[in-house]
Amino acid sequence: MPAVQAPVPGTTPISTSRVARPGQSRWRRRIAYVLLIGYAILMFVPFGWSVVTSFKTLPDSVQMTFIPHPFTLQAWQYAWTQMQPPLPVLFMNSTLLAIVITGANVVLGSIAGYSFARLRFPGRELLFLVVLATLMIPDQLRLVPVYLLMNGAGLTRGLGQYVAVVIVLAVSGTSIFLMRQFFLSMPKELEEAARIDGAGFFTTFTKVMLPLAGPAVAAVTILSFQGTWNGFFWPVVFLSRPEHYTLPIGLYFFRTAGGFSNDWPPLMAVVVMATIPIAILYLFFQRYFVEGIAASGVKA
Amino acid sequence: MARATGESPRSSRRSEATAGYLFIAVPMALFLVLNIGSIFYALYISVWKWNIRSGPVSFLGLDNYSAALADPVFQTAVRNSVYYALVWVPVTMVLGLSLALIVNQKLRGQTFFRAAYYFPAIASSAAITMLWIFIMAPDGLFNDVRAALGLNPLFELFGISPHQNWIGDQATAMNTVVVLNAWTTSGTFMLFYLASLQSISGTVYEAAAIDGASWWQAFWRITMPLLRPGHFFVATVAVIGALQLFDQAIIGGGVNGDPNNALMTMVLYLYNAAFRQFDFSYAAAIGIILFVLIMSATLIQRRLFGAAPSW
Repeated sequence: MPAVQAPVPGTTPISTSRVARPGQSRWRRRIAYVLLIGYAILMFVPFGWSVVTSFKTLPDSVQMTFIPHPFTLQAWQYAWTQMQPPLPVLFMNSTLLAIVITGANVVLGSIAGYSFARLRFPGRELLFLVVLATLMIPDQLRLVPVYLLMNGAGLTRGLGQYVAVVIVLAVSGTSIFLMRQFFLSMPKELEEAARIDGAGFFTTFTKVMLPLAGPAVAAVTILSFQGTWNGFFWPVVFLSRPEHYTLPIGLYFFRTAGGFSNDWPPLMAVVVMATIPIAILYLFFQRYFVEGIAASGVKA
Repeated sequence: MARATGESPRSSRRSEATAGYLFIAVPMALFLVLNIGSIFYALYISVWKWNIRSGPVSFLGLDNYSAALADPVFQTAVRNSVYYALVWVPVTMVLGLSLALIVNQKLRGQTFFRAAYYFPAIASSAAITMLWIFIMAPDGLFNDVRAALGLNPLFELFGISPHQNWIGDQATAMNTVVVLNAWTTSGTFMLFYLASLQSISGTVYEAAAIDGASWWQAFWRITMPLLRPGHFFVATVAVIGALQLFDQAIIGGGVNGDPNNALMTMVLYLYNAAFRQFDFSYAAAIGIILFVLIMSATLIQRRLFGAAPSW
């Protein structure tokens, strides 16, 4: 819009992208800060409260005191040894499931994303539309068919329940989409050089393209780890034995059937344990969380 | 599409295609069976009386569908889910847009605020719901804080006692979940809106400033219209998510969505049909009804916002 950009005599240049006038802007700024800080505190208070409560006794847990009195590790000890299933079992189950599913998403997502971005084959665009369409299908619609298929394959009993969860979550359309977008943005010369040197498609992918895809692999790793670690729907459908529960399913069980519904300190210990790993990831890799969400927001 | 020269075109094109198919084989097989295939399988199951071991028993036609629509509990579930969507979606969109507008200004600590607001979204629904139930309990932090701030007279105007059991009282259970999810999701919507806001060129605002437009005028005349695709995206994602409310409902109210079905949602109803009544064909029919509802909601919104999605 060249006409708009033409300098107009007598107006002061505007430096920010917002329309602002000096006197008004200082007040708006102050109000903005108060709101911003207030809302930011609201974001952290509940989590802080769960940490504080996990070091309290039961009678102390319903007092509005921010320092546990007495300070005690009882709740943690109790959650660690007495709750059924105990905290370490829940933690291990969550960890294993999250690692396997994240690995599957990285491997399957990156190789399929590469194929959709760079290899030419008939029906590619149509198949990619199928990938995008899977993002639109609600999980609840496929609950019954998927459950019956898994049941028919014997995967609703014993350790097969884990296999069922892994198969359902092994690759998401989002993982493929994110990888494809990244590979689309890479220069073609690299692969062409490798191809001229006689490398096959798979070697080109593993030796040349994948090592350069670090940021996209990191994004997929973090998004799938977070998704699986927090996942509720498919685990609650398939994991029917307490010793198979993950942290979220354990929490649900404790609340509804496990007889701990008002024993707040140990429950809060489980809440803290379920939140801390992701909070630590967020602290260090905040960029990937935020960019992943923004990327899924703008799409292509 | 120009091809690289210097290879024998036909055989290399064929091997490229083979590699292409091989690389997508596993995900596509999973998608075709577990996603696309599932829809047709669900449709098929829904018109039969179904036995989990032997499969179809007798043909029911649309009986499952009419039975669902006639069941008062299902009607409650639909009403609750729709109520939740109608309240939660606008509240969270306004919150997310306000945060985005504020954070998008040139402020110190912008990165910190953005990260802070997204923070509740990273935690698991189960952990957060449990935490929320604790905070909103009769002797919980929320009731303590409002008493300490002297706000109880205000709450009494709305008939809320000092020791209100927020999630355990039929009158407040669903709204408690609304507030919980507005809190966890406002940061996500903020990020969506920020992406849209940053695509609006600053020169438009400069032109408006030159014409003497106030911030408020610029917001209504420029920002809001140009955010249309953004609104469409956020609203669509939000409504789809809202109609699928499940985790908070089953954790907060158990399988019956207690108290008195106040937290019974469509997905919880579906879950019960499958895993408590073991009526899989009935559950499949509920899944189809839910899908149709979600698709209709999306189409209505597309008309409402009148914008083709940018994706």
